[in-house]
Amino acid sequence: MSTEIHSTSDTISEQAAESTFHEVDDPGREIPAIEFRNVVLAFDERVILNNLSFKVMKGETKIILGGSGGGKSTIIKLVLGLLKPDEGTVLVDGEDITEHSEDQMMRVRKKIGMVFQEGALFDSLSVYDNVAFRLHEQGVPEDEVEPEVRRMLRFVNLEDAIDKMPIELSGGMRRRVGIARALVGDPKIVLFDEPTAGLDPPTARTICELAMKLRDLEDVSSIFVTHEMNNLDYICSEYAVVDEDGKVVFEREGERLCLINSKVMMMREGKVIFSGTDERLRRAEDPYIMRFLRGH
Amino acid sequence: MNFATRGLLELQETTLLAARAFRGIFKRPRYLSEAIAQMDAIGVGSLTIIILTGFFTGGVLTVQTFPTLKSYGAQSQTGYLVAVSLVRELGPVLCALMVTGRVGSAISAELGSMVVSQQIDAMRALGTDPIRKLVAPRLWALLVSLPLLTVLADVLGIFGGWVTAVALYSVSSSVFISAVRDGITTDDLIGGIVKPLVFSLIIGTISCRQGLSTEGGTVGVGRSTTRAVVLASIVVIIADYFLAKALQVILGTQ
Repeated sequence: MSTEIHSTSDTISEQAAESTFHEVDDPGREIPAIEFRNVVLAFDERVILNNLSFKVMKGETKIILGGSGGGKSTIIKLVLGLLKPDEGTVLVDGEDITEHSEDQMMRVRKKIGMVFQEGALFDSLSVYDNVAFRLHEQGVPEDEVEPEVRRMLRFVNLEDAIDKMPIELSGGMRRRVGIARALVGDPKIVLFDEPTAGLDPPTARTICELAMKLRDLEDVSSIFVTHEMNNLDYICSEYAVVDEDGKVVFEREGERLCLINSKVMMMREGKVIFSGTDERLRRAEDPYIMRFLRGH
Repeated sequence: MNFATRGLLELQETTLLAARAFRGIFKRPRYLSEAIAQMDAIGVGSLTIIILTGFFTGGVLTVQTFPTLKSYGAQSQTGYLVAVSLVRELGPVLCALMVTGRVGSAISAELGSMVVSQQIDAMRALGTDPIRKLVAPRLWALLVSLPLLTVLADVLGIFGGWVTAVALYSVSSSVFISAVRDGITTDDLIGGIVKPLVFSLIIGTISCRQGLSTEGGTVGVGRSTTRAVVLASIVVIIADYFLAKALQVILGTQ
């Protein structure tokens, strides 16, 4: 009996190790989830993005920092194909989307979840219908839609609000419903456009925790656009794990684990002025970065 | 960009929008339930104003024309004049203008609000084409509703004219009705249906285009709503002139 148990647990460990190594060695993971190559975008005379190049690898979170009007949100619109670059190339999961038509982009967008600044919930639809929007559009039967919507609302801790209308929700709740809506269909790329702007610190922390859960437990690649430094502190120094009771807990990086799946990129007037880890960012001597970090 | 270039660009974008909306009608998914909901909002919702507009327009036509016709001894032709004026011109044009004011402004404001609150971007990000989901059902609803509303306005206008003629000027009911029958020809009825179809395209595409091109927050929504109503009203009146002439040529009534 005991030999049987041993042999079963050995098989599980071997399978787990194999799958882990397989995942790490998967050549598909070397293809960036998102890549910008020398992207230039201007509106009339105003240059928004100036020769921008960067990559977001699979399972990585790229935090894009910068002041208002620096071109941060434009990057997200380019990834979604809501805008087209004047020059350069945008790749999503290795696919060049620069010249894609609206119909072709509809297929690409199915891989991407997008969380908007104010949630951008559809006013005329209930929370349930907002979260179920993508599934309803795909013609998924209602008996499959409801469990999926409830699963997503549980993920953002808002199952009780399922029948409410967006007008009845607080700012933080709207963003969380927006996150639930973005995660339907389990996209492997999630884009956050200033999701914590204007929120109180505990609610902002909740939103960051959701981003961390996606990164660490769901292997999601994401771009997290923000200008709030506490977002950076949370996402770059903490990680999500499941404890022995099956609960998700957040631990600080340290001797046990050093986070390498979160990178920071800082933008100013359409150019990247910093790219690297948060530790390097804090040691940067650029006056603009120092002022941004200090807040004055 | 100068005025002419801006105008041409606007014309191009509005035409492209109409073409894409039409293509969307024949592709899956078809938003039939949205189209029916829009028909309810546009058609059923406009009934009250169309009933009032039609009835009183017919009434005032009788009030204005009866004394003149009487001075020529042609008061028996009041029904003829009221019916022809309504079916050929006033019914389609007044109906289109009323619908522009009520529905065109609502479409533009609704789509404009969705643009400024990023709901349109969210829809595209979720893999849904807003032109097929929002513009095509509204165009369909207008194409079905406006001709029906126009027919209703014509009927109620003639009824209003009859009530006024009989009650105020003691015109015999049978004389009025027989003049109406003599006045309306098949060509008038064809024109009375073709015009609302063209007007509904004008109102729909202009309102949707103005709404979807909203910029500048809530102030922008107000601006695009005003622009939608003014532009659609002017284009309806200009189109009416050319349609009237074209229909005369096509139907051989010139």
